[in-house]
Amino acid sequence: MTDQALPSLYPQKSSLRRAVPEWASTFAIFIFLALLPWMHIIGWTDIFDSSNNFGRGNLAFVFAFAVAGVGFNLLVGYSGTLGLAIAGLFALGAYGTAVLSAPSDAREALAGYDWPFFIALPVICIAAAIIGFLVGFPAARLKGFFLAIATLALGELIVTIIRLDEKVWDGLKTNGGTGKQVPQFRVPGLDRILSVYMLSLGALFITMVAYVVLTNRRLGRTLKAVRDIDIATGPLGISSTYYKLLAFGISAFAAALAGAMWAQNSSFANPSAFRTRLLVFLLVVLIVGGVSRKWGPLIGAIFFVFLRQKLQDTQKLLFLILGITLILAVLILPNGIAALPKQLRDSRWVKDLQRRLGTLTDFSL
Amino acid sequence: MSVVDTAPSGANPTGATASLAVEDLHVAFGGNRVLIGVDLNFTPGFNGLIGPNGAGKTTVFNVISGYVRSSEGAVRLHGEELLQMSRTQRVKAGIGRTFQAPRLILDATVMENTLLGRHHLFRWGHFAELLLLPQQRREETEARQICMEMLDRFGLADVAHEEAGALSLGSQKLVEVARAMVANPTVVLLDEPAAGLGADDVTVLLRGLREIQAERDLCVIIIEHDLQLVTSLCPKISVLHFGEIISEGSPEHVTSDPAVIEAYLGHGFEAEEGGEIHEVEGPLSEHHHIDHVEEESSLEEVWTDDDGTEQEEPS
Repeated sequence: MTDQALPSLYPQKSSLRRAVPEWASTFAIFIFLALLPWMHIIGWTDIFDSSNNFGRGNLAFVFAFAVAGVGFNLLVGYSGTLGLAIAGLFALGAYGTAVLSAPSDAREALAGYDWPFFIALPVICIAAAIIGFLVGFPAARLKGFFLAIATLALGELIVTIIRLDEKVWDGLKTNGGTGKQVPQFRVPGLDRILSVYMLSLGALFITMVAYVVLTNRRLGRTLKAVRDIDIATGPLGISSTYYKLLAFGISAFAAALAGAMWAQNSSFANPSAFRTRLLVFLLVVLIVGGVSRKWGPLIGAIFFVFLRQKLQDTQKLLFLILGITLILAVLILPNGIAALPKQLRDSRWVKDLQRRLGTLTDFSL
Repeated sequence: MSVVDTAPSGANPTGATASLAVEDLHVAFGGNRVLIGVDLNFTPGFNGLIGPNGAGKTTVFNVISGYVRSSEGAVRLHGEELLQMSRTQRVKAGIGRTFQAPRLILDATVMENTLLGRHHLFRWGHFAELLLLPQQRREETEARQICMEMLDRFGLADVAHEEAGALSLGSQKLVEVARAMVANPTVVLLDEPAAGLGADDVTVLLRGLREIQAERDLCVIIIEHDLQLVTSLCPKISVLHFGEIISEGSPEHVTSDPAVIEAYLGHGFEAEEGGEIHEVEGPLSEHHHIDHVEEESSLEEVWTDDDGTEQEEPS
């Protein structure tokens, strides 16, 4: 039995994947996105027309929401933990970088601590990760609804702290409920919008690479085990609590990064922007895009930003349509838009076509 | 996480005089006393643990692997006290186990499921993984090699890259045994490994278990309702009844013990010379295919957090 050759240790890749490895296709997509502002190929809608500032700004919002979505995906899609503190951590990233990087001698709406942006950003993201990790301690012992409510409360707590004014907490410098102006970081040689665009794209790139690397390897397996066989992970030497905390921490890091990018783009942060509706937006990004799918958050973010811009004048209609979309997504596309190719491939008529044509090219992303 | 490699080296079977001693174990769920002063001694080789449903067999496993806290008693692995350890520490100390119902990630491959058992032996952390360090990659490939060889022993090499959910129940249970074995345990607790398996699968299971046991001088403890299997595999059998050990010894001794016949086997059961037994009719056949929902649910209810500090009791 042993003298017979064993199968390969890694799964066989499809012919398409052998020709174009996953890293190559991922890099290609990011290079395309980086060059997009200088190309004029998206002519189907002015919302994402990358030749003007309006379209570039919208695309930068897409990237920011996708960053948060990728982290959320790791938490919800992989570890199966429904932590809803993401809106608050998003706010922490937005306000944290704004306050830390603002000049200290400015008036109240723009006063801060003079930190360079590229020091403030990682500090805030790591702080968010630590908060996520620590909050996970009590939260990882909760399940389902209780976990959702506990983490939701944490998110609200962060927003409530941001609303405090100088009289209550000296040195907080969030300028209370009236909002904070965000100092802009400029990439040398680029204008304001292009800086934001490149910064957001860079953040998405880093998040995506980390996501792909981690989920394809041991961490992805372990988180899936925590999600699916939680109770049985003990005899495998896997501490499910530790891994839930780790997922909390990573998603908090991504949420804060996304918040910072969002703030750079909108240049003004107001506490009311981070209420529960932001959480609903991010849920739409995640669920419509596709839970535990690599490109899900990006596709979901494109969908969401498109819808938001289209329905900008009628806010109430936006919520109605988002609600209907969520229901439809769960009913028709439980695995999101990103899973559509796979769902099609597994569908009966494609299987039938496949039989007739012999082999059909593997068109999974 | 501690990176100290305290894992027992299963590759070094010579020094292993694995023995697990359970001393005066008392467990009660509320007023329901499940184990009443259980003393058990497991030595390398196959040990059978039998008894009617609700006797407390799975509870013994749950105490050893850290799911249930005992009110009194001690569990020692190679003389080392286990009860103070967390579940993950017990794994590093050398305890492995499987569950009655296989617990696999159904949308992950068989290989990935098996690799889970290997994770606690990885020396490079997730940060190394993120940085794509070659050492980490090598470690992963080594682990895959070990898992593939183990899967091959249980006839699963060909389906290594199939999704676990596509496998039959019997194959899923074999995957779980393989996963427990790649973790290099010195004591393995198998909770009804043969239940639900077809005849072919049972043959593969037993051959694999015998091979691995012989190579590593492993201590295997088996809960099983299939008496034929237990008596042919285990030189030593303990019988648990209502939380107490009523008989212990060789298969011949146990199957002819009047107390065992009264409590578990029933009078329809006759032991022939040489330990061969025939099932005629009687209570055993009733025990045979009963749903094990009761014991399974006790596991869910007393589920505690990993550090084992808090203990919920089922109402």
